[in-house]
Amino acid sequence: MGESQLDTERHIKYWRRCLKSLLPTDYTSTDSSRMTLGFFILSALDLLGAGVETLPDKERANIRDWILKCQHPNGGFCGSPNHRYPDGYYVDVGHGKQLMDPANLPATFFAILSLGFVGRLDQIRRRDCLRWLKTLQRDDGSFGEFITEEGIIEGGNDTRYCYLAAAVRWALTGDQVSEEEEKDDIDVEKMVDHLRRGQTYDGGISESSEHEAHAGYTYCAIAALSLLNRLPDPSTISSSTPGTASTAKLPGLADLSGMVRWLVSRQIKYTMEEDEEEDETSSAEPLSLAELSLNESEFVGFNGRCNKKADTCYSFWVTACLDMIGSGNLIEPGPIRRFLFEQTQHRIGGFGKSPGSPPDIYHSYLGLAALATMKEPGLKSFDPALCISIQQKEKLDKMRRDALVPTRTYWKHGYSFSIREDDPAYEKTMAASEEPPRFIVDALKIVR
Amino acid sequence: MGKYEGNPVWDDVVPIPQDDGEGALAQIAYTDEYAEAMGYLRAIMAAKEYSPRVLDLTEHIISMNAAHYTVWLYRASTLRALNTPIDKELSWMNEVALQNQKNYQIWHHRQILIDQLYPSISSDPAAIQALADSELAFMTQMFDEDSKNYHVWSYRQYLVRKLGLFNSPAELKSVENLLRKDIRNNSAWSHRFFLVFCNPEYSTPDSKATEYDARIPDAIVDRELAFAQAATFEAPQNQSPWNYIRGVLRKGGRKLSSVEQFAGEFVTLPEDDSAEDVKSSHALDFLAEAWSEEGKTEKADHALRLLADKYDRIRKNYWDWRRAPLKEKTSK
Repeated sequence: MGESQLDTERHIKYWRRCLKSLLPTDYTSTDSSRMTLGFFILSALDLLGAGVETLPDKERANIRDWILKCQHPNGGFCGSPNHRYPDGYYVDVGHGKQLMDPANLPATFFAILSLGFVGRLDQIRRRDCLRWLKTLQRDDGSFGEFITEEGIIEGGNDTRYCYLAAAVRWALTGDQVSEEEEKDDIDVEKMVDHLRRGQTYDGGISESSEHEAHAGYTYCAIAALSLLNRLPDPSTISSSTPGTASTAKLPGLADLSGMVRWLVSRQIKYTMEEDEEEDETSSAEPLSLAELSLNESEFVGFNGRCNKKADTCYSFWVTACLDMIGSGNLIEPGPIRRFLFEQTQHRIGGFGKSPGSPPDIYHSYLGLAALATMKEPGLKSFDPALCISIQQKEKLDKMRRDALVPTRTYWKHGYSFSIREDDPAYEKTMAASEEPPRFIVDALKIVR
Repeated sequence: MGKYEGNPVWDDVVPIPQDDGEGALAQIAYTDEYAEAMGYLRAIMAAKEYSPRVLDLTEHIISMNAAHYTVWLYRASTLRALNTPIDKELSWMNEVALQNQKNYQIWHHRQILIDQLYPSISSDPAAIQALADSELAFMTQMFDEDSKNYHVWSYRQYLVRKLGLFNSPAELKSVENLLRKDIRNNSAWSHRFFLVFCNPEYSTPDSKATEYDARIPDAIVDRELAFAQAATFEAPQNQSPWNYIRGVLRKGGRKLSSVEQFAGEFVTLPEDDSAEDVKSSHALDFLAEAWSEEGKTEKADHALRLLADKYDRIRKNYWDWRRAPLKEKTSK
């Protein structure tokens, strides 16, 4: 495209195509993550100001029904209908329903966020979901992706599932867990401890502190801490003595200044020659000033690990981390925007992984997310922890509070209906409620 | 007619096709072959059938979509039920892994298999060594394709713990070989840090990577410093060994200033007006921190200013931020 600005129309076109037409066969490997892709599509359109409100009611309702169809009878969601059996298969086996293909944590998170666009959160069976979520936590505080019929928690012990668990908890219980539900709550302290242990010697976070620091895992850890309100107050970060920051005030991160150093180090200057050379031989030589000068046409990309190449998605994972720990001002948006706009933005809309790559849903969303984190005009204000617009976060916040309002049953002409306690017509409706039908009253007496 | 429909081997199975309906998000143009095979897998899973034909079916689906986690899980259960020899499965997986470089499930499946195999060889050091050797050979093959493959390194850390390979000469040697090929391979540096500082023989269990460990012998700290320092001379602008040095110093409870002289080899800042000589921005950063540690605020500030304005301008805001508290100190 050649110009350093967001071509909103073209991006909207790209995302509408993703929404309306079949994805190419190459996407088959994402068959288990269709809910994730679905969320990216709905949220990208929202960020671009062309969200689901532009669709006819019927289409919105259909999307909602599809998401709800992926809800697992035992709580949580499946990643696509390929993991969800017809209802009749989930027979009761005495201690609950047969598991079939288990619900999946990433799918659950993305389903909840997606319902925020097209439905309501009270359509989620939240008690079942929260109880299921608790079963995914391991003794070391980490979470798995799903749990098998034999009770085995599957999936890595890394920070991804911690983030997803923290986010699902945020969406379903709010910031305050009620006393009544505390017994079903996950062990937050253990999770924070686990995340704290994941920091590596070079300051980043990995799937465990024994492995190589990675920007994706780092994002998941920081966003989880952010959702649990366990990030340090930005004003307490000390820049004078990196690596020796006081740990007392840093609940979730052992070494915050080391973290800042690691994050800013992910920025790399992108030069076209890089693509041709396998390795930078220049690194062995003394630095020349010409090579290091910054000028108007310079591109800055982000890598996910030390000495790797720039990739669109890390522009988000890293800028979001800096933003969440209150250090967003440590980066200079200009050259980063230039890299995204002139190197990875595609002429048909969307973003590719690296310069010259075709666009794909994942990188296209995270490209927008990176720009939104840096407050790009033309995109809605953004919440990096939930990776959605602030407007949508506020909507979710209202929905989750609404979902907590109890509903009561009333009877009319022999049928039962339910009404929420905060409905303006609640008092009147309940007063007008008929007695339940005779046979139900009798049946209840027998039970007692 | 597909591969399964009309095939006498599968005659007894009624497939359960995916029910997408209207409003489906992210619908994929599946090939007929994939859609059919998935329908049969769903039927097999519903019937809880664990038979040899399940291995064929799962292999077929994996060849089309190696990221479908339930397929792998179901395959693992079937292997267990049929008591299939694990080495056979491992060698089949080698092929799949080579064809699917970026796949997580394969490595998870491999861990499940090793967990299953391990009890039968745990008391036989020769068998453990043989397994370690063959796994190392395979990982070396994977690293020939991509020496920074995250899943393979993850699996490798798992294997080191599982088989107790911390003191295996082959393990450290192989990491050194990878670094000899590419001194900028940060995955290899990370693995070395793990091998050295998580070795249960002399490290404190559960000591965090970011904290001092009093049990680490001085000789180990010295050896690791020397190793990383040699690498910085080879490529001064390679950040990996600089990070490694910081990590080693922290584990050893030593100050950055303890290796100030070494870092000074890359930086000359004359007292007079003559031009400075900087061979590595990382050395300059290192010295700035060491000087700040020692209270030499003016020198530290000078180094940070050079980084901000000249040697590492893409991080200017960061270096300026680092300068701010130094200015406060100077003005006090």
